[in-house]
Amino acid sequence: MPATRDIKRRIRSVRSTKKITRAMELVAAAKMRKAVTKVLATRTYSDLAWGTVLHLAKKLNAEHHLFFQEPKKVKKVGIILVSTNRGLCGSFNTQLVNKVVQSINIHHPEKVETEIITMGLKGRLESRRRKLNIVADFPKDDITTSSEKISSSAHLVVQNFLAKKYDKVFIAYTDFVSSLRQAPHVMQLLPIVPTIDERLAHTVHEKKEDINDINVDSFSDFIFEPDMKQILDAFLPRLVEIQIYQAVLESEASEHSARMFAMRNASDAASDMIESLTLAYNQARQASITAEIAEIAAGSAALN
Amino acid sequence: MKPILLKIVTPERILFEDKVNQVSVSTALGQITILPNHIPLVSALKPGEIIVRQEGKDEDLMSVSGGFIEVLADQVVILADTAERAQEIDEQRAEEAIKRAQELMVSRVVDAEQFAYFSAQLEKELARLHVVRKYKKSHRHVPEDFGK
Repeated sequence: MPATRDIKRRIRSVRSTKKITRAMELVAAAKMRKAVTKVLATRTYSDLAWGTVLHLAKKLNAEHHLFFQEPKKVKKVGIILVSTNRGLCGSFNTQLVNKVVQSINIHHPEKVETEIITMGLKGRLESRRRKLNIVADFPKDDITTSSEKISSSAHLVVQNFLAKKYDKVFIAYTDFVSSLRQAPHVMQLLPIVPTIDERLAHTVHEKKEDINDINVDSFSDFIFEPDMKQILDAFLPRLVEIQIYQAVLESEASEHSARMFAMRNASDAASDMIESLTLAYNQARQASITAEIAEIAAGSAALN
Repeated sequence: MKPILLKIVTPERILFEDKVNQVSVSTALGQITILPNHIPLVSALKPGEIIVRQEGKDEDLMSVSGGFIEVLADQVVILADTAERAQEIDEQRAEEAIKRAQELMVSRVVDAEQFAYFSAQLEKELARLHVVRKYKKSHRHVPEDFGK
């Protein structure tokens, strides 16, 4: 029966697709667990480093270091775009690039030149499709293991900022709020604005932490060893590096959760499809049996 | 005296978080010991040891490869690049790493940047070895395979 055979073939193909998506879901779940433990471990460090900067910024004037100085006129902006290497993670990268385009429109509506530095293949392709100005691309590992891996990109933006090539540097990444929710986010890296960004998941979670509540005003000035300039020169670039590292880890945790859910949705959709196809198959089979019986009955009736 | 809240963190983990009586670290200008009510201080760390003293406990020994320390009245934060407890360091592997770093410095140095990288590596390994030897010395009576 041609009809039933076609349906049967469809069912078989959907079933094997489901097997694949199911396997990918499990792989993504395992990777997500790994990425989430890493991102949580690093949050303490980056929060404490950020806390130190907040304390320092309260005590120092902005003119003490170039990194604190708000440019008078913003002419050129650099954006680091942290995306994924692989697809099949829903609208993850599209949303992120949307957010970047949005922030370009909001932050500098007057013609400000924006340069994009991409990390990850999919973000690069998407940005190119949107005709954004890509100037550099750094390869991204699927699981970033240490902060040394991103030091080259950190070095690039810091150098460009110090050379006054960029007046502001942003980083666009997907913040990991929970395994169910990831929020694309554009954060200012340079110059350093010493305020707590409430929108970020981890600062909201850990706001109770005593670190930000310490009232520095009551203290005498900081002592710097060997001296302030050397400390700031060493510490602030390191902070930028840590922030990029943290963003990359957040993005990885988000990527794997997004992929896990995309794959779970695909598996569920495949199940639904198999169900309705099976129903159609059974109906077709039943119809053909009925037709056959009717034919036999008609045949025997004709003989009599 | 009111104890200090000490936090030692690396990008990978929280190594130490507890109330302590005093902590010694080696900064760019030499070794310093921080007691409660120290005035606010920010300094860079050199590869070396961290010694933590707590009430009623043996002193804790850790190696650090560099980083920063921030001191506020009763809170000390050490942002280390990498750090390990003495118990975790494998003496033999530290020795091998030193040998490797020394060889690389002689054979493969191409530019100043690489030289700086290798010598930082070497300094870090020397600090680790120093810490683990010191730890073993003070724990002679403990059998080698203790806790394994």
